[in-house]
Amino acid sequence: MKQLVNAFLAILLVAFGLMFLGSRLNSAEGYTGGNTLTIYNWGDYIDPDLLEQFEKETGITVIYQTFDSNEAMLTKVEQGGTVFDVVVPSDYAIAKMREENLLLPLDHSKIPNLANIDSRFMDLSFDPGNKYSVPYFWGTVGIIYNPEMTGDIDFSSWDSLWDSRLNNNIFLVDGAREVMGMALNSLHYSVNDTNEEHLQEALSKLNKLSPNVKAIVGDEIKMLLANEEAAVGIVWSGDASEIMDENDKLDYVVPEEGSNKWFDNMVIPQTAANVEGAHKFIDFMLRPEVAAQNAEYVGYSTPNVPALALLPEDISGDERFYPPAAITDRLEVYDNLGKRMLAHYNELFLKFKMNKK
Amino acid sequence: MKNKNGIANLYLVLVFVVLYAPIFYLMYYSFNSGGTMHKFEGFTLDYYREVLQDTRLIIIVINTLVIALLSSAIATLLAVIGALAIQRSRSRRSKNALLSLNNVLIVSPDVIIGASFLILFTIAGIKLGFTSVLLSHVAFSVPIAVLMILPHLQEMSPTLTDAARDLGASRLNVLTKVILPIIKPGIFSGFFMALTYSLDDFAVTFFVTGNGYSTLSVEIYSRARQGVSLSINALSTLIFLFTILLVIGYYFLNQRKSRPAGAVAEPAAEAGVPR
Repeated sequence: MKQLVNAFLAILLVAFGLMFLGSRLNSAEGYTGGNTLTIYNWGDYIDPDLLEQFEKETGITVIYQTFDSNEAMLTKVEQGGTVFDVVVPSDYAIAKMREENLLLPLDHSKIPNLANIDSRFMDLSFDPGNKYSVPYFWGTVGIIYNPEMTGDIDFSSWDSLWDSRLNNNIFLVDGAREVMGMALNSLHYSVNDTNEEHLQEALSKLNKLSPNVKAIVGDEIKMLLANEEAAVGIVWSGDASEIMDENDKLDYVVPEEGSNKWFDNMVIPQTAANVEGAHKFIDFMLRPEVAAQNAEYVGYSTPNVPALALLPEDISGDERFYPPAAITDRLEVYDNLGKRMLAHYNELFLKFKMNKK
Repeated sequence: MKNKNGIANLYLVLVFVVLYAPIFYLMYYSFNSGGTMHKFEGFTLDYYREVLQDTRLIIIVINTLVIALLSSAIATLLAVIGALAIQRSRSRRSKNALLSLNNVLIVSPDVIIGASFLILFTIAGIKLGFTSVLLSHVAFSVPIAVLMILPHLQEMSPTLTDAARDLGASRLNVLTKVILPIIKPGIFSGFFMALTYSLDDFAVTFFVTGNGYSTLSVEIYSRARQGVSLSINALSTLIFLFTILLVIGYYFLNQRKSRPAGAVAEPAAEAGVPR
């Protein structure tokens, strides 16, 4: 009995000791003060030095929290119980949040640096007039390939994927919009096409791709491609840059017929506690030097024009990740097609997956 | 006979290699200056430095430990009471019902438990953070601890308590001097099971963290989206070494106690209780 009581007391003692240590560290960092700003962002999606710089400049303490998918973030924001001041969702999630009245309209007069954003990336279908959101990073969907394994196949067109030499050598990312969009693009239709005939055409074209597809995979696609498990993959440009960091034999291309371009944007949720600070932070992130430093750290493409000039030439001049306007004009943002059409896309994608065996 | 033993030993070694290889692989690369887990380029301690300088990460580690220790201590306390109640319940039917309810909580998926906690806490107006994480960890640890304690209660011969009562012990005395010492191993294993559950739980914790409060599993999971940085390797190595130290410490403590003429003298009341 004595031993039990002693053990119990010892555990409590250690726990409270640690708790005290934790609160000391917390207050040393200023997390418990009143002037805080809570940011909810993707994991490892900002240069931590920038947060420090922002804290020093404004005296606001930043609490930085991370999520790993738009859906997870949506659940947290919708359910409430926790306060976020700035959140960084992707395009379709913003459309959804807008519909559900989860966002606060931005005061553009407090974000003068908004002028730095390339006009190509403003006023897009998921947020007309950028009433609620400001671009953070952007990218494309394209083909990553290993020239050593594919030989002289030219991947500048989606049709190259149907080449019989690629038998059992392609990884597809597990996304209905991405794969259906790719098929629609290869037929010169829009990634947002809702015409039933076009969709069926796309499905039958996809079915013909089956022998070439090795697997349809999730995030592990990065590891598989870096380890040369297959020669070709359909991926997002952000993933592509990471894969190429790990294995520099690979190359990335956005096919001519067009493709999807995606955005991660900063928004302020309805429940924000520090709206003033949130605007300050957004404006801070849009500063050319800051955006450039962040783009260099994260490795995704920045939509900030003056920042591009500050980036080293081998980053900003890389047309794979900063394609010229002629290509980006052909790229499309995913429209919110509505629940029914999305379900139909998913169903077609599922049919393709089942057909594949 | 000797041959047979050899195969058995080989099998055992193989199992341990499979179990420990990933951990050692991870530890090995935490010293890699190359920055990836593909090629070992050179020895560096940079990632350990990075971990020790990252105050946010250290706060998160402390949070994780505090939650684990407190929640498993509270859960074990509740579990002892619960196990006693289940054991005492008169009819076989209610006993089975209670046990089944306990088991349902163990097998039900973490995501569902997490989501329901999130809904419960937001309806009840409990702010997400320390309290919500602690409460949910206590809740999912109790059934596990109950399951570890119950067998010890069932093994205990009822004649022991009867004898104690006959000799004039009060209810409280029976509990503290007879029952608790007998089920002590169960209580400790319940506590340690709860501790490990709490340390590595992701699914439930993910739903109930908020307002700047986070634990290690949630943090690592969201960082992994960009590929696991080697500083996570370094941190994992530190935690692994820490656990090893704890286990070794626990082992030596037990060693000393199980010696026949132990240094720790048993109290008179406990001396007669068979172990």
